Amino acid sequence: MDRVEDEVLVRRVASGDERALSGLYDRYAGLVYGTGMRYLGDRGTAEELVQDVFTSVWRNAAGFDPARASFATWVYRITRNRATDLIRRRKARVRTVDGEPLFEPGEMDPSGDLSRNFDVAAALSRLTPAHREVLVLAYFHGFSQREISDRTATPLGTVKSRTTAALRALRETMSFDEDRWSSDE
Amino acid sequence: MSEHPDIRDLLGPYVMDTLEPHEEREVEDHLEGCASCREEAQDLRLAHERLADLAYTTETPPPDLKERVVAGIPRREARRRIPSWVAAVAAALCVLVVLGAVLTPDLFGGGALASASLSPTGRAPDAGGEVSIQDTGENMEMRLEAWGLPPCKSEQYYELWLVEGDDRVSAGSFTVGESGQVDVRLNAPNFAGSYTEVGITAEHDKDPRASDIKMLSGELHEL
Repeated sequence: MDRVEDEVLVRRVASGDERALSGLYDRYAGLVYGTGMRYLGDRGTAEELVQDVFTSVWRNAAGFDPARASFATWVYRITRNRATDLIRRRKARVRTVDGEPLFEPGEMDPSGDLSRNFDVAAALSRLTPAHREVLVLAYFHGFSQREISDRTATPLGTVKSRTTAALRALRETMSFDEDRWSSDE
Repeated sequence: MSEHPDIRDLLGPYVMDTLEPHEEREVEDHLEGCASCREEAQDLRLAHERLADLAYTTETPPPDLKERVVAGIPRREARRRIPSWVAAVAAALCVLVVLGAVLTPDLFGGGALASASLSPTGRAPDAGGEVSIQDTGENMEMRLEAWGLPPCKSEQYYELWLVEGDDRVSAGSFTVGESGQVDVRLNAPNFAGSYTEVGITAEHDKDPRASDIKMLSGELHEL
């Protein structure tokens, strides 16, 4: 499902296409799971967050309106809301001896960093496979330029110029997305 | 900027801090005197920082989680794109029922929702065909009539695909004898009507992906 736009996949999810849900999972599950690990702190609850988020995408895909927000923004909001619910639920269980909650629920993502991460994930999914490959290998697998050259059987000089071109394409896609959705926020 | 392409090609690894020391010095020397490349490097650095932040937040979920997610979603009747005229006809039929008109059961049978005329590729220039997607009431069905296809040899078969962009989903496989003709009904996925094209490939292995041997293709049009 390379380069099929998120919004097309959501439309298919609304039609009952499990493969389309699987495609969206491939793009965003790592970020949702990482968000769960960061804010909820344990693997079990992070997995619960992933299940909740994608079940919600499945249930509510027909109501998604691409004219109002990107899919990335939509799935970010679902993630934030479900994570907040899980935090509250957990805090409600952890009480002092006086029966008071141990922590006060805090605002999630006040800086907007998490929201931006979803936008970058969306931008990454729109790159060409060759551009996405060099960035994923470098940033998500930690490979050096030479290791990428060896793994992809591509000359080192090409890997370097492709990495530059991929970052440039990502920057342009991010700018496009910001312009596209800026009126929504 | 195009007057120094070699340096410009290194700006990505430069902002990622992955250049060899001598390359890094070379880039920095150049940046001191080139405003356009400095601006480019600043742009790339922003993309680098955003990507690094995304990578920092992202974690690989357990490998079986996806399977559990998909297994756990509530099953539902798939929505289908119903052409507006179908709704109009349905409304008209309801009126007739209210008026006590005698209607044959066939009028309530599922009709074709979409169809495609198949055009040949260079591999079988005389081939052709028609595909229609029908709602049978219980499931979705694709009816395929095709002709002029080369007969299948041992282990060979043809596969019908629903296509949109780079995405393909199989709608089933079939074989063709000496006549080169086929008239089959295949169970279609419930979301078949949401695809824009259909295609037929020749296959000879168990690889679930479509082969490169395209025989026929056509655009799906709603009816």
